[in-house]
Amino acid sequence: MEIFIKYSLAVIGTLIVAIFVGLWLPGIERKFVHARIQQRIGPPISSPGFMAPLKFFFKETIIPNSPLPRLYNALPLIGLLSIFSILLLLMPELYFLDELATVTAIVGILKIEEVIYVFMGSLSRSIMSLSMPFPDIVKGAKHPDVQRSFLEDLSAMRAFRLIAFGSFPIYIAIFVPVSMAGSIFLSDIVSYQQTQGPILFTLAGVLGAIVFFIGYMILLNEYPFAILKTKADVIEGPYMEYASKYRSYIYITRGLLMFTLGALFSALFLGLPPDILSWGILVNIAVALIFPIFMAIFSAFAPIFTFKQFYPVVVGFSLLGVLSLVIALF
Amino acid sequence: MDENDKPKRQEVIETEVTMGTVHSAAIEPYRVRLFVEDEIVRDAEITVGLNHRGIERIMEGLPVEKANSLTEKICGICSNSHIWNSVLVAEKGLGIEIPERASYIRIIMGELERLHSHFLYLAHGNEVLGHETFAMRLFYIRETVMELLRMIGGNRVQYGVSIIGGVRPRCELDLMRIQKISEGMDLIEQKITEFADRFVSDPMIMSRITGVGVLTKKDALRLAATGPTLRSTGVDLDLRRDMEIYDPFEFDVITQEDGDVKSNLLMRVLEIPESIKIIRQALKNLPSGPITDRSWEMQDTGIIKSYIEVPRGKLLHSYALEEGRVRGSIVRTPSITNIGAMQQACIGNHISDAQLAIVQCDPCFTCTDRAIKITQIQI
Repeated sequence: MEIFIKYSLAVIGTLIVAIFVGLWLPGIERKFVHARIQQRIGPPISSPGFMAPLKFFFKETIIPNSPLPRLYNALPLIGLLSIFSILLLLMPELYFLDELATVTAIVGILKIEEVIYVFMGSLSRSIMSLSMPFPDIVKGAKHPDVQRSFLEDLSAMRAFRLIAFGSFPIYIAIFVPVSMAGSIFLSDIVSYQQTQGPILFTLAGVLGAIVFFIGYMILLNEYPFAILKTKADVIEGPYMEYASKYRSYIYITRGLLMFTLGALFSALFLGLPPDILSWGILVNIAVALIFPIFMAIFSAFAPIFTFKQFYPVVVGFSLLGVLSLVIALF
Repeated sequence: MDENDKPKRQEVIETEVTMGTVHSAAIEPYRVRLFVEDEIVRDAEITVGLNHRGIERIMEGLPVEKANSLTEKICGICSNSHIWNSVLVAEKGLGIEIPERASYIRIIMGELERLHSHFLYLAHGNEVLGHETFAMRLFYIRETVMELLRMIGGNRVQYGVSIIGGVRPRCELDLMRIQKISEGMDLIEQKITEFADRFVSDPMIMSRITGVGVLTKKDALRLAATGPTLRSTGVDLDLRRDMEIYDPFEFDVITQEDGDVKSNLLMRVLEIPESIKIIRQALKNLPSGPITDRSWEMQDTGIIKSYIEVPRGKLLHSYALEEGRVRGSIVRTPSITNIGAMQQACIGNHISDAQLAIVQCDPCFTCTDRAIKITQIQI
């Protein structure tokens, strides 16, 4: 019973730290990196990750123009819960869950987070797309034989493509530690590194970490990989129509995803899973801070890619990931 | 709704994606219909006229000085160009020769405005590219120009420099102002050189803009493209060479060959030093003497036309004078003639590049949207 209480407190404590740090990460990214590089003041540090979601909780809920409004509104929460579950599975206190505390389970849950964007895009019709009448209809001469597509449809298709190939780098990188430890169980990967040293300090680990970082940027839809929400066409992409608490969930998900992916990296490449009972949590926080800072520096100096640039980059880093996998096997 | 009134489903052939009138990449109200196939644009149609103001109609019957002031409100970017050209119409009709010093001040204002417009173009282009850092830095450099314009005209957008017979007395360039403009030009030249070096050596940007939004020379001429959009396809045509006022100045007309986004962006980057060159020459050789000649007399004229080269291309102003009042005013901005080129430039590109292809032609639909059609002119 004592152990149960201790573990429960550890899990809750780690979650609180994760949420607290995660909520500040978007602000740090925008205030301390983007704004500094762009020689402007930038938003208050608490605004993008903390105050904005808080504010949205008190906003009026707008009923979306969607064929399935309940499902549409539930999607951000599903995304948030999937990230929460990844974080939970990374905690050593829950390694007793065996099959769930594996790399494959994490990959599967990450896929849920990716898939919801397809649903979001296909289930919404933004006011920008819908309420602006088509010129031919206004003129009373409706253009025949035309299928009218909306901006959200475009982002749904893009989300689908991203699932198909965009997330290759991060998944390949995740399997580098698996190859080295010879197990998909997180407990085995962590204990392997406690005896053999962090995987990051091997050649395969370094290459894997680079590929992981690119995958991290793609998964977070950050510039230059922000193809899902390109301002030049689809604007905010699949989540353009979310308002009030639903938008808030999206913001919280992004902050938490930043922390969770950092924690995933720490667990897989440094052997330090997120655990408030260990000093390793400081490394988790440090990684969670370093990754967005590097990402922000990189994104501040890059334009948004189209698929023409996106494909070669993904293929190139996927090949690098395969190389690191091969090295890891030997 | 009656069941019979419901629109029937059509057979699906094309997919249409429509952007605007409100869209984050479009800073002005216009609507683009893109007919796409697997995110590749097969056809495009731009609709303007959504922000109609009818300035020509308001100008009808106004005293010419008032009407000239009104033309400045046509555009927030090339406001000086509009009032300059509108004043030129009256001067041409009334046979007024303005003092040489006034001509030089107008040239300085015109070129400063070209700098301001080109920096805005480059910044907006980078914004659409997704390169916010470059966009911010270009806006930052543009501030120097804006402050110089404010110093001369007393305002950052509406300067009110040109009047019939010369320039306003408050726009006189004293030694302090000349010194400040000169220092500003040094700073801008240094900054644009640094920017150009970084811009062309960035492989990510080059891969995004090379071969995107291509407009061939043939298409550009066929679609009556004008200004830098036309010159970016290799056509060596700049109205400044034909303007008498520019005769004392030496400058090169910049042309590019490819007609794509890269060519258009580089066009502006390379035109900036040419404008600086003209401003320096004007400051160096600024004649002494009065800046306004108010000795002219009002008389009736027929319809007079005036063309000048503004940052976006060829600008037409035309009206007649009747008892000192404007009749039958017509304004044709460069953007209206570039719309065909914009539509053409979209075709064959990825949908994300469509806005970029439009932006490369430097549209100013706010200028364009003021037009009304006058079918009959009674004088």
